[in-house]
Amino acid sequence: MTIATIGDVEFGIELPTFEPDTSLATGTRFADLISWDGVRFRDHEGAKKEGFQGAIIPGILNQGYLVAMIHNWAPPAEVVSVDTVFRAPVIADDSHSITGVVTDIDEEDGKVEIDLTVTNDKDETRVFGTAVIRLPT
Amino acid sequence: MDADIEAVRGKYLNLDFDENEFFIDPAITTEYARLCGETAERFLDPEHPDFQASPTYIASLSGRRMLPKDFPRFGIGMDAGKAIECFQPVRPGKPITGRSHIHDIFTKTGRSGRMVFVVMRIEFYDQDGNHLANADSRSVQREKSQ
Amino acid sequence: MILDLHTHSIKSDDGRAKVENYCQWIRSKELPIDGFVLTEHRQYDVESDYSTLAEKNGLVILKGSEVETEYGHVLVFGVTEALTRAFDFSRIDLPLAMVIETCEAHGAVPVPCHPGRPRVGMFAHTEELGIPAGVKTVEIYNGGSRENEDQIAIDNAEKLGYRGTGGSDSHIVSHVGRCATEFSADIRDMAALVSALQAGEFNAVTFKH
Repeated sequence: MTIATIGDVEFGIELPTFEPDTSLATGTRFADLISWDGVRFRDHEGAKKEGFQGAIIPGILNQGYLVAMIHNWAPPAEVVSVDTVFRAPVIADDSHSITGVVTDIDEEDGKVEIDLTVTNDKDETRVFGTAVIRLPT
Repeated sequence: MDADIEAVRGKYLNLDFDENEFFIDPAITTEYARLCGETAERFLDPEHPDFQASPTYIASLSGRRMLPKDFPRFGIGMDAGKAIECFQPVRPGKPITGRSHIHDIFTKTGRSGRMVFVVMRIEFYDQDGNHLANADSRSVQREKSQ
Repeated sequence: MILDLHTHSIKSDDGRAKVENYCQWIRSKELPIDGFVLTEHRQYDVESDYSTLAEKNGLVILKGSEVETEYGHVLVFGVTEALTRAFDFSRIDLPLAMVIETCEAHGAVPVPCHPGRPRVGMFAHTEELGIPAGVKTVEIYNGGSRENEDQIAIDNAEKLGYRGTGGSDSHIVSHVGRCATEFSADIRDMAALVSALQAGEFNAVTFKH
C-alpha cells in the first residue's frame, strides 16, 4: 500500500523493504557524478589496500537510498530531515537491504518519524538513521 | 571543556568562513536521483511542474573550504556522519548559495589522545535569500598523545 | 522477567531514540520484554525521571551508564551520585581495574559490553593487556554485533567462567529488545537489578532471529 496522507500511517508500520543497487558500477558512477575522488569508491583491490573489505559505496549515496525508499512508500512525502550514522562501510557488490519503520507520528504538524537501517546479507547493521517527513493531512 | 577547545569554539563557532555559488544542473540532479533509486517523477523529470533536486543532493555540494582557513589541525580527519534539514525544495536550473560555518566542536579524551569532533554546516539559500536547506558533516580528528 | 540491559536514547551523542517511543514500540509490537535500562555513553543521566512513563506503559525503566576503558566499553549498573564523583564518566581512557574496584566499593556492577568487538570490546585487548582481574560478568548477546562477535564473547566467557548478559545496544527505536537478560527475580528498581546481577541469577537471551 502506498501512502497518500498522514491518515494512512500507523505507528509501527513497516515500509516495504528496499533493495538498493549497491553494485560497484553504480557506486563508481555516483562518485564520478558528484566528483568524489578516491580509489575506495572505484576498485575492490585498491580499497583493500586502504584497509577496507572491498570498494565502498559513498555515504551520500546511502542517504539517497533511504530517501528513495521513503518516496517509494509515500510518493508525496516531503523530507524534513535525514540523520545518518555510519556504523560500517557498505561494501559494493555485496547485497544489502533497507528496512524502515514508523516510530513517531505528529498528526498536528503532519510529521512522521521513521527508523531506517541498512543491513548486509549477514543481517549486520551498516548504516542506521532517522528521517522526519511531512505528509498531507 | 578544555581551554583550547573553548577558545576555538569562541573564535569559530557560528561564524561564516566560506560562501560559494552552486549551479544546480538538472542533468546531474536527475542522474543523482536515478542512481539513488528514486521513483518519484518530481526528482526524475525536468518537465514535471514540481521538478526539484533529491533532498540529499545538497550533501554532495562542498564549499571551497571544508574548515576555516586558519582552523587548527588536531589530526587526521574521518567522516563521522551526515545530516540534512530541508526547508524548501532546491530547484534545478538556478544557482544557489552555500554559506559554511562551524556548528559545533567537542572532544572525547582517550589513551591515544583527544578526539576532536567538528560539525561543519552549510546553509543553502536561493537567489531571493530564502533559506532552502542545511547540510551537516560530522568529522572526527584524532589527536596524537603529547 | 526480561529486561534489555543496554539501550541509548537521544541523551547519547549517537542515540536517535526518544524514551517514550521505546515504550510505545515495545507495547505496540508486543515485545517479550518487561523493561529496559538506559545506558547513555560516558555519562549518568541524573535529571531524567521516567517513572510516569514507566507506570503509564507498565514497563520498568532504569538508568545506568556505558563508560570507556582501555579494555573497551563497560556498562555500569547501580550508579549513585557518589560514584559519579569517584571518576570522570566522560573520559574514554578509564583504567578498567579502577572502574571495577570503584564500582564494587559503591555497590555498583560493571559489565564489559560487546566484548567480542574489535577495538571497543574487552577480548580485543586481552592478548596485549592480559586478562583483567575482577571481571565477573560480560555481555554475551549484543543487538549490534557483527560477524562472530557474540560467539567470541560466548566462547571466552565460558572459558573464563564469566556470567553473560544480553542487551540490544539500541540507538534507534526499532532496535530495542533484540537481545535482553532474563531474571528469575521480579525487578522493579535498580537495587533489585544490582542484587540479581551480583547473585548471578540471570540468563542472556536473544531475539535477533
